[in-house]
Amino acid sequence: MAYAYLFKYIIIGDTGVGKSCLLLQFTDKRFQPVHDLTIGVEFGARMITIDGKQIKLQIWDTAGQESFRSITRSYYRGAAGALLVYDITRRDTFNHLTTWLEDARQHSNSNMVIMLIGNKSDLESRREVKKEEGEAFAREHGLIFMETSAKTASNVEEAFINTAKEIYEKIQEGVFDINNEANGIKIGPQHPTTNSTLSSSQGGQQAGGGCC
Amino acid sequence: MNFFRGVMGGQATGPQPTGAETIQKLCDRVASSTLLEDRRDAVRALKSLSKKYRMEVGTQAMDHLIHILQTDRSDSEILGYALDTLYYIICNDEEEEQDENSQKQADDLGIKFTEQFIQDPEHVTLLLSLLEEFDFHVRWPGVKLLTALLKNQGVQVQGVILVSPMGVSRLMDLLADSREVIRNDGLLLLQQLTKGNASIQKIVAFENAFERLLDIISEEGSSDGGIVVEDCLLLLLNLLKNNSSNQNFFKEGSYIQRMKPWFEVGDDNSGWSAQKVTNLHLMLQLVRVMVSPVNSPGATSSCQKSMYQCGLLQQLCTILMATGVPADILTETINTVSEVIRGSQINQDYFASVNAPSNPPRPAIVVLLMSMVNERQPFVLRCAVLYCFQCFLYKNQKGQGEIVATLLPSTIDANSISAGQLLCGGLFSVDSLSNWCAAVALAHALQDNLTQKEQLLRVQLATSLGKPPVSLLQQCTNILSQGSKVQTRVGLLMLLCTWISNCPIAVTHFLHNQENVPFLTAQISENLGEDERLVQGLCALLLGICICYNDNSLENYTREKLKQLIEKRIGKENFVEKLCFINKHELYSRAAQKPQPVFPSPEQMLFDHEFTKLVKDLEGVITKTVHKSSEEEKKEEEVKKTLEQHDNIVTQYKELIREQDSQLQELKEQVATLSSQNEQMQTTVTQQLAQIQQHKDQYNILKLKIGKDNQSQSGSQGDGSQVNGLQTEELTQLKEELEELRQQHALLQTQLADKDAIVNTLVRNLCQKKPVTQIMFNCLL
Ligand SMILES: Nc1nc2c(ncn2[C@@H]2O[C@H](COP(=O)(O)OP(=O)(O)O)[C@@H](O)[C@H]2O)c(=O)[nH]1
Ligand SMILES: [Mg+2]
Repeated sequence: MAYAYLFKYIIIGDTGVGKSCLLLQFTDKRFQPVHDLTIGVEFGARMITIDGKQIKLQIWDTAGQESFRSITRSYYRGAAGALLVYDITRRDTFNHLTTWLEDARQHSNSNMVIMLIGNKSDLESRREVKKEEGEAFAREHGLIFMETSAKTASNVEEAFINTAKEIYEKIQEGVFDINNEANGIKIGPQHPTTNSTLSSSQGGQQAGGGCC
Repeated sequence: MNFFRGVMGGQATGPQPTGAETIQKLCDRVASSTLLEDRRDAVRALKSLSKKYRMEVGTQAMDHLIHILQTDRSDSEILGYALDTLYYIICNDEEEEQDENSQKQADDLGIKFTEQFIQDPEHVTLLLSLLEEFDFHVRWPGVKLLTALLKNQGVQVQGVILVSPMGVSRLMDLLADSREVIRNDGLLLLQQLTKGNASIQKIVAFENAFERLLDIISEEGSSDGGIVVEDCLLLLLNLLKNNSSNQNFFKEGSYIQRMKPWFEVGDDNSGWSAQKVTNLHLMLQLVRVMVSPVNSPGATSSCQKSMYQCGLLQQLCTILMATGVPADILTETINTVSEVIRGSQINQDYFASVNAPSNPPRPAIVVLLMSMVNERQPFVLRCAVLYCFQCFLYKNQKGQGEIVATLLPSTIDANSISAGQLLCGGLFSVDSLSNWCAAVALAHALQDNLTQKEQLLRVQLATSLGKPPVSLLQQCTNILSQGSKVQTRVGLLMLLCTWISNCPIAVTHFLHNQENVPFLTAQISENLGEDERLVQGLCALLLGICICYNDNSLENYTREKLKQLIEKRIGKENFVEKLCFINKHELYSRAAQKPQPVFPSPEQMLFDHEFTKLVKDLEGVITKTVHKSSEEEKKEEEVKKTLEQHDNIVTQYKELIREQDSQLQELKEQVATLSSQNEQMQTTVTQQLAQIQQHKDQYNILKLKIGKDNQSQSGSQGDGSQVNGLQTEELTQLKEELEELRQQHALLQTQLADKDAIVNTLVRNLCQKKPVTQIMFNCLL
């Protein structure tokens, strides 16, 4: 599939907050109540549309355990967006946000867009962290914020897409250096001249996408 | 060099210092001299001694050298010498043509010094930070040293690099270095770095390795490129093999499409250099990694799909049919095509449509099969063709039908060579390898396909002039009994087992020949040598299948009679023991591992992968059946009958529920119509009530008017009575109207009551039905 841009994301946060479930809900539109513990890093991908443009999201889901922390660090530099996830039913996961954020800020490129996510919003009765607290933390640290449920899919699309919108806006503003792939952004093979091996069907799609 | 001569040659008068002494002096100098130039010269001297006195330099100077790396960061020259020296003492593959013993000693030395170096993980981190130095004299030996460390103690060094922040990313930057030497040695480093470590492989992929490597490969001329292309391909293999996450990333990144041009090797045959052969081999392996039968089925099938869509499969088939392709490339291409089409209908259909550019054009399948049954072709090539044929038929009922059709009297085409003809020819040729391959190939045309098993029973063969034709099934058993080579008999027995299993008609056909059962019992009961054990086991399996899939249509060979035969002639225990010879065979588990037929030598070509599955499925069933007494069987039969009855009852209930369901639906619809009717009527009633009220009001007003008029009757009475008369008339009329309306209203109300009653009954009905249905479902569950 041809795309106008490709963004790389990482998903970070304590173990068990629902990172893998969020990715699965986003890529496969399903929820797995019993999910395997992520070992190291897993990969997923999906195409979205913003502003009439096809954008390919490549997402790396990381393991939250301390022992994998140094592996996770290797992914910050090359990511354009990060979803920082906590579990609204477990305050400790909210308390650890500062550590995660420090880690991310230290190892990522300064333009990386970070989306704060309070997951498991379907478990209202077991809520330990108020929505206002999440909002306040996000405001204080300059993050976008959303509460989601990987189970009911509520706000999952929005979380991934809004992050992409933010990145997209930064590109329009010229903040990102899109020619440096190390930032986690790549321009798609839009111009047929640059890659002559593309099949004709892809060429057609590109023409369609390019009109806007 | 000046300094070196000074140290070594300056003391002509005294006794020659030993190497160790010289090195010690140099070490002291490195450690104590305050002058950079002095230290630099000393390190340079150490470097030049490090090959001859590897042991001494390593033992005495390592710490000093590491110290230099830590403290003399600003002088790239001294850093370069220190790194070079460390490289010489740690690296093993410098000296060539050594005898085994001294090579082992050298290896041990390298490992020892590596351990010494990495004892403090900080040293590895230090080395990583030195690689950020752009100066060629630092970066190049740094890359080589780290590669050598990884070669000697991969796991530990990988561990250190993995936990050092940005460690892997930094090493990936080497691929972007504009100096080719560094980029190329960077490739070697990354090969060592990614060996067997999934986490590092994923990070390297995340750092755009696929993109970079594919770019380098095409810049360097793809398969025509040199060793750099080979190195890139080896690294790609490291990243993708057994790493499903990276495979998914490779597919999602549309990199499969970029493999297609690799195989545009054309028909020019301009040359197949050794390097080109190596490159293509690796390229084919990469394709296979993406569609390997051991990958998850979903992953493989989506890769197969894109390989067809982007034309990669078509390109591979072109190589298949091209002339002048070296045999080993051809073999590997066949294996690759096999896995690209395996179990994928679209790709299999495409493959069936490929024609060889011969005159007249022949289907590629036919051309390939010709090689399979040709004794002069290399063994590995014949195996590859068999694999390809198997993959073509895997989960491909259509393909199976087409192959069998080429043997059937109605569809046979006498004018051209067909797949079926070639298989029959192979089955009955004098070459046992051809027999085996053809038998297995034919068995794959029958796999899980009852229709084709029955169809193949129709095939008749003309044996020799004047004799009546004989069925294919019979011919197989004939050859079996003629005592041919083990390989031939094993092949035929596997074919027969596959053929008649799950197919009672074929079992009957087989048993119909009076000689078959005595032959099998004789084979099984005899006490034969080691070589014959496998054949005995397969005979037992065949006889077992005759029992399990027996529809009792032949009086002499009913299930019961065959079991008695085993008990009397062979003995139950003996039979089961013989049956177990199959999976106890040393080659069995090897074949069970993966679908591709790979054998170290032609004689070891005995088991087929799919057949091992059949054995696994049937072995237990047959053993149980043989051990069961007839009474037990009868009991089981009864249980089966009861179960069937239960099934019937359940089916009946299901029917009932279905009926009630539709009734329920009907009633629901009725209720809905009635409710809406009811609503309508209620609206009418309300409207009419309003009308009545209006009339009442009018009436009252008029009444009032009349009263007023009567009070003011003083003046014109005549006029008044006239008016009054008129009013009375009107009044009567209104009264009548009112009465009528009242009656209508009453009528409507009764109607309404009726409808209400109906609705109530229906609702009650509905409520009663529900629990009934519920109970039915509970019965079912
Ligand atoms: N109720 C609810 N459970 C969730 C949600 N997201 C994840 N879970 C559950 O939380 C557990 C951990 O999820 P997982 O995705 O493996 O967490 P990770 O360690 O962050 O990847 C699993 O048992 C999930 O079923 C959610 O939105 N709602
Ligand atoms: Mg996880």
